[in-house]
Amino acid sequence: MARADKQAAPKIVNPEDVARSLAKCVADGDIVNLRLLFAPFSPARADSSEVYTDEKYAYLLPAASESGAAFEQALRAVREAATWAHVQRELAAMRPAQLPAELVLLLGDNAAREGKWTSAAQAYELLRIRRKMQEEFFAQGLAALGARDLPRAVLAFRTGVGLGFDYSAFPEPLPQVPQYQTRALMMHGSYPQRPEDCVALLEPELHAQVALDYLLGDSEAAGRLREVDFATRLAFLRELVLQSDPEWEVFAAQFAEACRLTHALGNRLQQVGAHQPETLAEEIEEQQAADPWAITQALLGRSIEGGAWWQYLKELAYEHPAAALFISRQLVGEQEILMPRLRAGSPVAAALGLQGGDAPSAAPKAP
Amino acid sequence: MSEAGYINYFEILGVGEDANPGEVRNTFRKKMKALRDSVTDSISEDRRAQFILDMAKLNAAAFILRDQAKRAAYAEERKALIELEKRWIDQAAKSSDPESTDALRREFDGRARGFLSKYVEETMLEAGQDKDVAESSGWNIFYARYALKLLRHYRHLLYHDILERLPFHVVTQPSIDWAERRRSVSAILETAGR
Repeated sequence: MARADKQAAPKIVNPEDVARSLAKCVADGDIVNLRLLFAPFSPARADSSEVYTDEKYAYLLPAASESGAAFEQALRAVREAATWAHVQRELAAMRPAQLPAELVLLLGDNAAREGKWTSAAQAYELLRIRRKMQEEFFAQGLAALGARDLPRAVLAFRTGVGLGFDYSAFPEPLPQVPQYQTRALMMHGSYPQRPEDCVALLEPELHAQVALDYLLGDSEAAGRLREVDFATRLAFLRELVLQSDPEWEVFAAQFAEACRLTHALGNRLQQVGAHQPETLAEEIEEQQAADPWAITQALLGRSIEGGAWWQYLKELAYEHPAAALFISRQLVGEQEILMPRLRAGSPVAAALGLQGGDAPSAAPKAP
Repeated sequence: MSEAGYINYFEILGVGEDANPGEVRNTFRKKMKALRDSVTDSISEDRRAQFILDMAKLNAAAFILRDQAKRAAYAEERKALIELEKRWIDQAAKSSDPESTDALRREFDGRARGFLSKYVEETMLEAGQDKDVAESSGWNIFYARYALKLLRHYRHLLYHDILERLPFHVVTQPSIDWAERRRSVSAILETAGR
């Protein structure tokens, strides 16, 4: 009976709900929900069985008291006569809707401002201005770098790179994402046979460029920075690390501790080589003190049960992307661990505050 | 009307549409030799990708153009697709019947994707397996593996080139003022994260 009633009663959509939910998407820079509102099953459509009052759609509506500047601007844009007429026409039509470009553009800008770059990239791509917007961000980034406004320069480059599109994504192109966990693994994919195979031991200019390539995730964008002097590039790198990893100082402390443990391990292994334990207690103490995994655990700041070096690397790269630039794989006996690595007097490490500890520039001898 | 995006093998190989198979083979060998001579042992990642892509394009051009039947089928499909694009653009400009315009768009989209899949990815990989082509170019299984992602990327870029000039249908036609865009970017950088 209730079902029959429901079918008989015509659905009435409150236009205020439609306007406010659209304005919320635009203000939040949320392209997914904007598309949802125009989809055939949208609660904004009179011919759909979905309703705004359903609890599952509560998130689409802003709080009654919502009054932020971005929301007010978005609401004005939605209520603009031509846009509102278009919205109503598209919601009534029985075909894929055509989104109003004015709202998509405003949404893209809000998404870029909020750091929702994948959403901004999709909005700009729909409008066919994504590549030009990237160029504009890079141009303003270089201008800011010339004016020594590092926070602005880094933000411009991060946004420009964030608007990247992966044309080879399967099955359709998708916004580019950094994927540090994967790229850090690729960086350390081969075991370093010589010091120059260790990224941290590279000549400083090359190390800085590798760092920019890896952190920006776009070699073309990083290449644009080659035209500025090394000192400015280092300052840019430092700002980039700090902006993308607010917990970098935590890692710096963990790195210093890992360096201390590495030296202790080195010393311990030398002593073990020179000294024969006389008691069982001495032998146990020596073995425990020489646990190489303590170094890797110190780098990450915690242990992973049964974790291999690459599991530590993935988590480390996720939490502190730049950490992958100052470590290397190291065989200690039959175990392979991650170790801190620094090139002596490296200006790159100094710029990132990693001079505190005495990290090894050469591997300790395996027991 | 621009034909960018519809891969043109005559242009890639630098031969006329009436070139005979012998001419195609000779030009292919000369171009391939020049391409191979242009690279050294120490090749950057970007240059390597471009080299393999150029090699794949030349392979496919020779593979299709030396065979009269393949050449005719390719030229006909390409021409029909360009005409379909023109028909759709003309109809969209009139916008008298949105439903039939949309049907035309769907037909064009499906055929454009099919054309690019066939003549960019499939043909380029198939050409590498041809004995004559592989002998002249030195194409092997390692190149083919490397080229898989590269060709998909290239196909999407070509599709994107076509898409850029087509009428807007997912969104309304935007009116972009680049002076305003510059100010918007500046404002975004001013207020972001603050």
